[in-house]
Amino acid sequence: MQDLSLTVPRGEIYGLLGHNGAGKSTAIGMMLGQVWPSGGEVLVCGHNVQNDRQRALARVGAIFESPVFYDYLSGYRNLEILSYYSGPTPVARIREVIDWVGLTGREQSKVRTYSHGMRARLAIAQALLPDPELLILDEPSDGLDPEGIHEMRETIIRLQRELSLTILLSSHLLNEVEQLCTRIAVMNQGRKVFEGTIAEATRRHNWVRLVTDNFPEAVARLRAAGIVARDHAGHLIALSPGKSIADAVKWLVAQGFPVHEITPEEETLESFYQSLMEEQRVRLNQPLRLPTG
Amino acid sequence: MFLRQLRNELWKLFGKKRTYIGFGAFLIAQLAMLFAFQYSNWQKDTARLLAGNGYLAEQYISALTVAVIMLIPQILLLMPLYACLVGGDMVAKESEDGTLRMILCRPISRVRVLTVKWVAGLIFSILLVLALGGMALVLARIWFPWGGLFVFVPGPVRVFSVMPAWEGLAYYGGTHIVLAINAATMFTLAFMFSCFNMKPAAATVLGLSFLLVNLVMENMPFFEEYKEFCLTTHFKCWLLVFNQPLPWPDILKSLSVILGFNLTAFIVGTCAFFVRDIKS
Repeated sequence: MQDLSLTVPRGEIYGLLGHNGAGKSTAIGMMLGQVWPSGGEVLVCGHNVQNDRQRALARVGAIFESPVFYDYLSGYRNLEILSYYSGPTPVARIREVIDWVGLTGREQSKVRTYSHGMRARLAIAQALLPDPELLILDEPSDGLDPEGIHEMRETIIRLQRELSLTILLSSHLLNEVEQLCTRIAVMNQGRKVFEGTIAEATRRHNWVRLVTDNFPEAVARLRAAGIVARDHAGHLIALSPGKSIADAVKWLVAQGFPVHEITPEEETLESFYQSLMEEQRVRLNQPLRLPTG
Repeated sequence: MFLRQLRNELWKLFGKKRTYIGFGAFLIAQLAMLFAFQYSNWQKDTARLLAGNGYLAEQYISALTVAVIMLIPQILLLMPLYACLVGGDMVAKESEDGTLRMILCRPISRVRVLTVKWVAGLIFSILLVLALGGMALVLARIWFPWGGLFVFVPGPVRVFSVMPAWEGLAYYGGTHIVLAINAATMFTLAFMFSCFNMKPAAATVLGLSFLLVNLVMENMPFFEEYKEFCLTTHFKCWLLVFNQPLPWPDILKSLSVILGFNLTAFIVGTCAFFVRDIKS
């Protein structure tokens, strides 16, 4: 980790993206006091996790990939056991979270009889026990089938809408992040390489799709004229600051280039991620790795 | 709050089937030994030994005597195995399964988590010893009459004791206090290894290996001078409780070493657990 600071606005779903080994889980481990930083301090909700763990994590819930429980005990007993690590928890609160996740009627069954989906719901229930303000979800859809992934996605939306929770979601699934999050951070080699809203991410490069007879020559001339800053993939151009599409069209027509199509190109999160990682790769001269999904 | 957490830890511990392996193994071993006592020359040899010392064999070949004789090999062989099995599992299994990560995302200190686990392990050790001693006496009583206690242990420990039934029972109970401390120390040894970043089986094997190395060193003439440094030498102090009069200095010296080791192992384990990173 190098100088990582994430600002998660209250009530929002914040996505943490990055490939395997980028440092997402280590960052989450540090936030929860499970991984010791070699230097510096980790503040959660304004409290130092290392020195003031009780206060820093008092209103924090967490779910990790592939939720695990004491399989030989009932779902209720699991929640009871976990609740007392946070502090005295009334029985009514345990019943309330069981009801909220829809496990009423199955809470006395042994966890080994639960399906993946039910385990995921039990994981949410345990995270809700301390009545959290901040919910940290580390790859919550990992190991779930498509139906389970859909159910988890709906539950995350419910958590935010009904309980007004602030959610930090670490995920490999770009489409999941795109659908759920309003703000994201992208990590690479332990560093934050982007932080902003999804809208800022997808409009980051201001790409314009240009279809003309001789794209390379047209781009070279547009560059020389100071209208285009860079190009990409044989059909995309990025306009120089202060230049508009109208300027580019006017200049191309004046130079005799037919303009078959010119239109602003909105990136998907996936294309944004790919181009961001490519930039990083060029900067760090390392092979490109993409997340799954 | 601590008691609630301890109760929950005991739920976890006694909810697992493997926790009961030790109890089951003791039962089987004791039945096998009783069968051997009943149908071997053991009774004749013991009667000859008692008669040679001027005691009536009928009075002292009893349930109490048989129970003590059954305890000796089990304390030496089975007790370390099952105490270390549970101790090695205690932290490392939760770390391996991933439940430890779920616990440590809550506002509880690592020292508190370990202390609760350790106390639960001590309770297990006490129950294991009580079950061992209780089962030995009850099973022996089914096959042998109620009578006086005769204990004879040759070798460096050297115990020769003959006492009436009820006095013998009191001393038999007294040895269980020492045995519980021994079992707790065996548990703590594996528990200490379990606190490091390793598999549960590795922690159990390391705990057992430590005890085995102690036992081998203790019995090698080359290490005669260093016997006092071997934990297993001091574990034998439970037999001294049968000596008349009670050799308090020897018993207290061994108990101090055992308790000191216990505390040291817990502190080392806690330090290792405190500094390590908990990752999936």
